[in-house]
Amino acid sequence: MRTSPPAGSRLPDAITDPVTGRKISLLDWKAANLRSSWLLGLLMVVLLGGLGWLIGYAFDPGLATIVLVIAVVVGVGQTLAAYFASDSMVLNVAGARPANEKEHRYLVNVSEAVAIGAGVPAPRVYVIDNPAPNAFATGRDPQHGTIAVTTGLLQLLDRQELEGVVAHEMAHIRNYDIRFMSMLAATVGAIVLLRDVAMRAMYYGGMGRRRSGGGGGRGQIVVIILLLVLLILAPILALALRMAVSRRREYLADATGAYITRNPEGLARALEKLRDYKGAPMKVSDGVAHMFFTNPNVRLNAVGLFATHPPLQDRISRLRRM
Amino acid sequence: MTTIIVLVILGALVLFAINVYNRIITLENRYQNAWSQIDVQLKRRADLVPNLVETVKGYAAHEKEVFDNVGKARAAMAGAKNIDESAEAANMMSAALGRLFAISEAYPELKANENFRVLQEELSSIENKIAYARQFYNDAVLQFNTTITTVPGTFFAGPMGKTKHVYLEVPEADKEVPAVSFGTASA
Repeated sequence: MRTSPPAGSRLPDAITDPVTGRKISLLDWKAANLRSSWLLGLLMVVLLGGLGWLIGYAFDPGLATIVLVIAVVVGVGQTLAAYFASDSMVLNVAGARPANEKEHRYLVNVSEAVAIGAGVPAPRVYVIDNPAPNAFATGRDPQHGTIAVTTGLLQLLDRQELEGVVAHEMAHIRNYDIRFMSMLAATVGAIVLLRDVAMRAMYYGGMGRRRSGGGGGRGQIVVIILLLVLLILAPILALALRMAVSRRREYLADATGAYITRNPEGLARALEKLRDYKGAPMKVSDGVAHMFFTNPNVRLNAVGLFATHPPLQDRISRLRRM
Repeated sequence: MTTIIVLVILGALVLFAINVYNRIITLENRYQNAWSQIDVQLKRRADLVPNLVETVKGYAAHEKEVFDNVGKARAAMAGAKNIDESAEAANMMSAALGRLFAISEAYPELKANENFRVLQEELSSIENKIAYARQFYNDAVLQFNTTITTVPGTFFAGPMGKTKHVYLEVPEADKEVPAVSFGTASA
């Protein structure tokens, strides 16, 4: 009748970071995420301000301060919007509906059980009508935790496997991954937006306009070159960074999920079933793809710099070695 | 000058002591809260049991021993005065319900009963939640025990009157249930 393994069995509550190879405690990870979120916010203000200033200066040194202010206000606004509204937005984009107490009793029960094991409030549960098996979590803190799973996932997995997937998602919630990742996504988004605005402006209006007094000149040309290099490199670097962070978080959530359920095998089997799934992929907007349990847009596992998730086979063998 | 240095060191020591004190209290609260999580599930289970017993009696009234065991477990739960007694009664109830569900395998009409199916899913998921809650409780106790037996917590535990807390045992019933050979009984 019980589906979780005996409570006596223990997994380490510290796991090896797949990137640095260091041991990190699961508690430290949460603290690190909260800290990084603040640092990221600060970094974003500096970066946007700097880029804004450079863009303004390149057009007309007199405009530099104004463009700086506009860039910071827009960027911060976008991030705040993401912070407060990203959960309802992503649920809408994915076509999720609240789980029915009766119809999805089983899913609600599994989520409540795993939440107890993770020591977080029971999450709100949503269902997505889609035959492709997948799931995601959202919510800026455990009090706003939300988990959505597809009907395909419910059909494909048994209880232990479902517990594994739910525990993986619960790990994202418990460790404040979602807050950190949506802040990061907003930062990257703001940088890309800034690049697009600057590129368009360069195309239509001339840069390096001299002011009536004849200032600017040489300094302005240096700024323009610096700006061009930054505008091309910054979005690429930001995106690569974001995806690297996203992949690392998937490994950590797998490890935490295994720790919460004390059952790495359940999660490993779930991943195997998803790997062997031959039906049509789920297809969601690229903007929310990183939030899912496995990348919903590809059938083969994308590997490399811009993949949002690590290869499934790698995730499975890491779980099997625990 | 020396007075200032002494004051700064004293201040730092006081802050440190407050920190350790708070940590011990926080961890103690955590495992006590963890127990209330288990308690909630036990109460929910107790509420569902009479309904289940009635439903099963409709199909398998002669399985008296099973109903007696459930009744005894209920009485033990109602009479429990502390965590240890509650935990013991809860384990009795898990074992009794495990047997009840095992014999129900032999009654196809019972298994087809909608009410029974709903109750079975509810009760087995409560069982599952109890298992998770017990795991979380034991994790919390482990953290508490580690803190009050290692430096610096161990210097505070004595004066604060804190001693190591006991873990909840994994009930024998959990190991027993899958082994019950009702498969042959129904054959």
